[in-house]
Amino acid sequence: MADDKDVLRDVWFGRIPTCFLLNQDEVTEREAEPYYLLLPRVSYLTLVTDKVKKHFHKVIRTEDAEEMWFEYEGTPLKWHYPIGVLFDLHASNTVLPWSITVHFKNFPDRDLLHCPSHSVIEAHFMSSIKEADALKHKSQVVNDMQKKDHKQLWMGLQNDKFDQFWAMNRKLMEYPTEDGGFRFIPFRIYQTMSDRPFIQKQYRPVSPEGNVHTLGDLMKAMYPVALSNEGEPKRFQVVIHGIEPLLETPLQWLSEHLSHPDNFLHICVIPVPSD
Amino acid sequence: MEQGVWRRHVSDQLKQRDRVQRQAFEELIHQYTRLLEKSELQAVLSERYQPDKYDLQRGHEGGCVDGPRSDVLQQEVSQMRIKHQEELTELHKKRGELAQSVIELNNQIQQKDKEIQSNEAKMLEYHQQISGLEGDCRDLRGLLQDLERANQTLKDEYDALQITFSALEEKLRKTSEDNQELVSRWMAEKSQEANKLNAENERDTRRRQAKLQKELADAAKEPLPIDPDDDIEVLAEEAGKGGGETSPSRMLSRTPSKKITQPPPGGLLDSISNIFGRRAPPPFSSSPEGSETPSGVCAEVRVPTTAIHMFDAHDGEVNAVSFSPGSRLLATGGMDRKVKLWEVVSGHCEPKGSLTGSNAGITSIEFDSAGSFLLAASNDFASRLWTVEDSRLRHTLTGHSGKVLSARFLLDNTRIVSGSYDRTLKLWDLRSKVCMKTVFAGSSCNDIVCTEQCVMSGHFDKKVRFWDIRAESMVQELQLQGRVTSLDLNHDRTELLSCSRDDLLNIIDLRTCSVRHTLSAQGFKCGADWTRVTFSPDGCYVAGGSADGALYIWNVLTGKVERTLDRSHNSAINSVSWSPSGAYVVSVEKGSKAILWSTCEGGGANVSR
Repeated sequence: MADDKDVLRDVWFGRIPTCFLLNQDEVTEREAEPYYLLLPRVSYLTLVTDKVKKHFHKVIRTEDAEEMWFEYEGTPLKWHYPIGVLFDLHASNTVLPWSITVHFKNFPDRDLLHCPSHSVIEAHFMSSIKEADALKHKSQVVNDMQKKDHKQLWMGLQNDKFDQFWAMNRKLMEYPTEDGGFRFIPFRIYQTMSDRPFIQKQYRPVSPEGNVHTLGDLMKAMYPVALSNEGEPKRFQVVIHGIEPLLETPLQWLSEHLSHPDNFLHICVIPVPSD
Repeated sequence: MEQGVWRRHVSDQLKQRDRVQRQAFEELIHQYTRLLEKSELQAVLSERYQPDKYDLQRGHEGGCVDGPRSDVLQQEVSQMRIKHQEELTELHKKRGELAQSVIELNNQIQQKDKEIQSNEAKMLEYHQQISGLEGDCRDLRGLLQDLERANQTLKDEYDALQITFSALEEKLRKTSEDNQELVSRWMAEKSQEANKLNAENERDTRRRQAKLQKELADAAKEPLPIDPDDDIEVLAEEAGKGGGETSPSRMLSRTPSKKITQPPPGGLLDSISNIFGRRAPPPFSSSPEGSETPSGVCAEVRVPTTAIHMFDAHDGEVNAVSFSPGSRLLATGGMDRKVKLWEVVSGHCEPKGSLTGSNAGITSIEFDSAGSFLLAASNDFASRLWTVEDSRLRHTLTGHSGKVLSARFLLDNTRIVSGSYDRTLKLWDLRSKVCMKTVFAGSSCNDIVCTEQCVMSGHFDKKVRFWDIRAESMVQELQLQGRVTSLDLNHDRTELLSCSRDDLLNIIDLRTCSVRHTLSAQGFKCGADWTRVTFSPDGCYVAGGSADGALYIWNVLTGKVERTLDRSHNSAINSVSWSPSGAYVVSVEKGSKAILWSTCEGGGANVSR
C-alpha cells in the first residue's frame, strides 16, 4: 500500500493558488497590492490567512480594520468549511488562481460565523473529529485519547505537520476487523444549489448483505440526482479533494484515505462546466 | 484489479490536480511573495535611513547585503543629510525672524487700527460739531438779517423824526422869536406906562409938597397955643426919623431902573398923626392883623443879629416856615405831617395850634394874602387848605402823581398853582375845587412864585420857567447853573431870587429876564433840593440858610454877605422866612428846631433855647 501513503500525502499537501484582493470599497492609504498564497486544501481559511491580514493591514487604516472575512463572487465564504471544499464547491473549473475578495467591513452576520481567535477553529475542528468518531466508533476511540493527543491532532493541522497529525489520526482510522469497516461512514454531501447546507446521514460502509458500498451507492442513496442515468450526458460532477473518484471506489477506503483531517468525507456535487 | 483501477485513478487524479493547481503556481507565488517582502523592507529601510545617522553604522555592522556600494551610498547620503541639515537650520532661523516680523507687523496693524478708529470717532465728532455750528451760523445770520432790518426801520423812523424835529425846532424858534418880540414890545410899553406913571406921581408929589409947604407956611404963620419944647422935640424926632427914613429910600431911588413905592409919604403921615396926638408906636411894631396894606408898604427891616428864641417845632425835620401877612402868626411844616401855628409874642413863639390832615411830610406852606387861609403842599401828592381861625381842613387838592413840592395862591386867592415831582404844574380853582389846567413842565418843580400875570417855577433841570396865566402856556425859560431849589419875589415883584444847588443865589431882573446879581458866600452850601431862601420885605437883603446850619444875610446892593449867624443851628437849615414887618427872621432846620432871630436891642433879650 505504498500508494495509500502517497495518497494520504497528496491529500494532505494539496494546495490551491489563491489571489487575495482587497475589496475596492475599503479605504486605503495607498494602492493595495493583491496577495498570492497557496492555501492548503485541508485547512481552514481563518487559520492560514494571518499573512493576508498583515499584508492588508499595511494599507488600510487601523481604525477601519474589523474582522476579516472572505467572499468569492458575492458569496461569503464560510471559514468552518475546509478550504478545498469551498474551492471545489464554488470555484472549481474556474481560472486559477482563485480570486478571493478580502473584506474588513460589513461582516455578514447572517451568513458567516465570527472567528475571533484560533481557539474557535480548534474547537470546531475537534468537535468535527468527535462527531466523526461518534459515527465511526461510537466515540470510543476519541474518548480513549488523552487531551494531549487531541492537542497533537490540532497542532499537526495548525502547523501543517503530516507526520505529527497522522501519528494520532491513525488510531481514528482503525476498525475492528470483524466489522469490515466503520460503523457508519462520516460524510457530507455539499450541493451548490440547495437550501440545505449539506446532506449527512447514517450510511454503513458495508451493506447488511456484506456488499461493500461504493461511492456510487452512496450517491444513489443520498443524492441520486447527482448521478446521471444511462445514455444521458453527465450533468453533475462528484468531487472530492478536487478529483472525481470513480463511482466504484469503495466508500470505506474513501473514508480512510480521502477524508479531511476532521475525519469527514466532504463530497461536492457541482454541475458540469459548460465550456 | 478493480481495486487497483479506482485506486490508481484516484492517485492519478490527485497527481494531476496537484500539477495543475499547485505546481503551476507554486514558484510564482513564492517569488511574488518574496518580491513583496523585499519591497516592504526597502521601504522600511529607506524610511529609517533619513532620520538616523547611526543607522549607517548599524547597517555596516549588521552586515549589509552590499558592502562597498553602501559606503558610497552612505557618504552621499550623509553629505546630502548635512546639506539638508544646514538648509533646515537656515530655514528655521528665517522662520523665526519672519515670525518675529509678523508679530511686530501685527502689533503695528493693531495700533493703526486703533488710531484709525479713534480718528474716525473724532471725525464723526467734528462732523457733528460742524453741522451744529453750521446750524448756529444759519441762525445767527437770520438773526443778523432781522436786526439789520429792524435797524434800518429804526433809522428810517429816526430820520423821519429828525426831520419833524427840525421842522418843529424851526417853528419853535420862530415862535419864540415872535414871543421875544412881543414881550419886548410889551415891556417897552410897560416901561413907557411906568415912566408916565412916574412922571405923574412926581408931579403929584411935587404938587402935594407944594401944597404942604404952603399949608405949613400958612400954619407957621399962625400962632400956635402949644408948649413949644415937647412938640418941637417930637417933631424934630419925627422929622429926623422921617428924614432918616426918607434918606435910605432916596438912596434907593437913586439906583437906576428900580421901581420904588412910596415910603416917604407913609413915614410923614405917621409923623403928622403923631403931631395930632397919637403916640408913635415903636418902629418894630407890626401893623395890626387884618389891615394889611398891599405891597406898597415897606416895613422897617433890620438885619437880625441874635437868636432870640430857639424851640422844637416838630418831631423830625422842619421843611417849611412862613410868616402870616400880619407878621403875628408863624406857620411851620415838617416831616411829622403837621403844620403848626405859632404866635410871636414879645420875642417868643407860643404854640397856637396845629393843622392836621396830611398823610405825609409838609413841603411848603403859604398864607393867602388875607392871612385867613393856609395852603400846604405835602409829600402825599396832595395840597391842603385850612382856615387859620379854626384850624379846620377845608380842601384837599389831589391829582398829582408825585410829591407836591410847592403850592401857591395866585394873587386873586381864588386859584392855586402847585408844582410837583411828577413834572407837572397844576392850576386849581378853589370855587369849583377842581384842577383846571395841567401843564407839563418837563422837569420836577421845586418852587413856585406868582405875579399877577405870570407864574414862575424853578425846576430840577436848572431852569426857571415863566408861565403866562391867561395864556396858560410857557413864555420864557431861563437857564441857570444848578438845580433851582427856591424862588422868591421881592415886594414889588421886579426881582426874582433863586437859590440853586450850585450854592449860588441869583437875583434875576424880571423885565429883562437876566441875572443881575449872583450872591454866594464861602461856606454857604445849599443843603437840599428844597432849601428856601427869602428876600427881606424891603428887598434890600436876602436871607438863606446853609447846610452847615449857618444863616447868611446878603446885602442885595453890595452883593456881599452882610451877616453870618452860625452859632445857633446844629443842622442844615431848610427854610427861612422874614416877617413882613421886617423885625423877625425865622429859620428852621433839619433837626426839628426853629430859631427866631432878631436884632437884640436893649440888651439881654430873652434867648431861650
